[in-house]
Amino acid sequence: MHADSPLVVENLSVKRSKRVVLDSISLTINCGEFVGLVGPNGGGKTTLLLTILGILKPSRGKIKLFGDNNPSRSSFRKMGWVSQHASNIPKNIKITVKELVQLGTLNSSNMFWPTISDEQNKRVEKAIERVGLQSVSDTNVSNLSGGQRQRAVIARALASEAEFILLDEPLVGVDRESRNSLLKFLDNLCHHYQKTILMVSHDITAIKQTSHRMIFLEEKIGFDGSASSFPGLAELANIRGLQPVHNDDVSENKIYQLEDIGDK
Amino acid sequence: MDIGQIILKFFVPLLEFLAPFMPGETFSKFFFEMEIGQQAFLAAMFVTLVSGFLGVFLLTRNLALIGDGLAHVSFGGVALAIVFSSTTPLYYALFLSIISAIIIYELQVREILSGDASIGIFLTGMLALGLVSLRIWGGGIQNDIEGYLFGNILLVDKESFNIICIISIVSIMFLILCNKILLISSIDPLAAQIQGIPVRASGLAFSIVTAAAVVSMVQVMGALLVTALLVTPAATSQLISSSIRTSFIWTQIFGFSSVLLGLYYSSELETGTGSMIALVAAIIFGIVATFQFGVKPLLSQSDNTN
Repeated sequence: MHADSPLVVENLSVKRSKRVVLDSISLTINCGEFVGLVGPNGGGKTTLLLTILGILKPSRGKIKLFGDNNPSRSSFRKMGWVSQHASNIPKNIKITVKELVQLGTLNSSNMFWPTISDEQNKRVEKAIERVGLQSVSDTNVSNLSGGQRQRAVIARALASEAEFILLDEPLVGVDRESRNSLLKFLDNLCHHYQKTILMVSHDITAIKQTSHRMIFLEEKIGFDGSASSFPGLAELANIRGLQPVHNDDVSENKIYQLEDIGDK
Repeated sequence: MDIGQIILKFFVPLLEFLAPFMPGETFSKFFFEMEIGQQAFLAAMFVTLVSGFLGVFLLTRNLALIGDGLAHVSFGGVALAIVFSSTTPLYYALFLSIISAIIIYELQVREILSGDASIGIFLTGMLALGLVSLRIWGGGIQNDIEGYLFGNILLVDKESFNIICIISIVSIMFLILCNKILLISSIDPLAAQIQGIPVRASGLAFSIVTAAAVVSMVQVMGALLVTALLVTPAATSQLISSSIRTSFIWTQIFGFSSVLLGLYYSSELETGTGSMIALVAAIIFGIVATFQFGVKPLLSQSDNTN
């Protein structure tokens, strides 16, 4: 049905400062999928995202974007990127939600135009409406709550007409309630607008509830399957080659903290 | 073709028309009727316009002090020019300032040194180069040089005015054309890069434009006080604006009020122009900050949306 998957990774290895961070990774993500990417710190989650985006160069292997063997500008244009820091707009910038979202419509062909075209404006309005920030579109971004700011940044990615949105830790610094509505909103984007989402998060419990598919990454792919079959703590420790943990310790909280234990 | 002369021809009738309506004895006579004053006045206006735009971007990029660094470098350049007894010290300043800006930018981008540290090295290194050569070959600090340190609007001669006009026109054009590029690259460089925006090239171009603009300001403001015009109006506007658009507008309003009042009081009270402008800019900041954080909360205690 979908001729070209947004992402095909074949045998990818990436080194950062001579250390192997990703080792022969292969995965395919299909259109409309909501994929949660979890793993310990330093396990290569962000490295994978940055390599997909062409910022880091692989030492071996291939990345295909939308069927494009050598991803070019036009395929990168279909990518959206929401980083953990994106919602921390520098304090010295006073910018409204609308102005921020407008920046998402820039590309190499219109970046020198001093004005915003009608077509761009329509995209901006649509994106703001989709994330539900119409009522604050003329408000300074730094006056919004953490969750609202995160939505504003997502709106910026939507305004660029991204088909495939990569999010790096969007749930950090967002309170529980906004977290749930943000996840629901992302889920909705996949279902109703056929967007594809790859989201990195520490919050295994939260992402497990919403995503369709989970990938556990620690240099290699430790688990790749449906969210409902994502292993519990004991099994996960087994996958990672760590000492098995007593099953009665397994609470949501412990699963959440697992990565931190693993780092020490 | 001499752009400075064309601009002068265009604006002089306007200044002479305005002269009778201007307050003050010296202010109206000097700046609106005498040729050297008219030149200086127009130079100050252009420089203010450019530094307003530039200042907002410098703040967004957390580079508030680069202007100070490059101004010191320019001063080193002026000192060298005097040693070589050149009549156009601004060319020397321009050369050193642009070279330094490029190296500072590269050091920063390659993550060899933080912005602050590299600015520190160039600020002192180039200044020292100028001072040492001045001491050995040029007979020490003289009046003329002091003008470059603290600003002396009388230094704006025909040749300098021409350079200032060219730098101002080029900088304004660059900042208007690239304003969105510069914005997104400072808010989210990675996202910008993915959207196909040339983040690195535009950053380098921005550094070069900043270097040139600082040089154009050195005569009016003085190397030690350039930052006042570059940063203070923009910082004041950040206190009260909520959007990029209003930031730009308020920065221009504060910049022009500082310069006009500064020129007026410096000519009436016979003080240095640069220091008076800097003082007025700082006072305006103080007044706005007091109003914003001291008076306004009292007036509307129930309102907490700032």
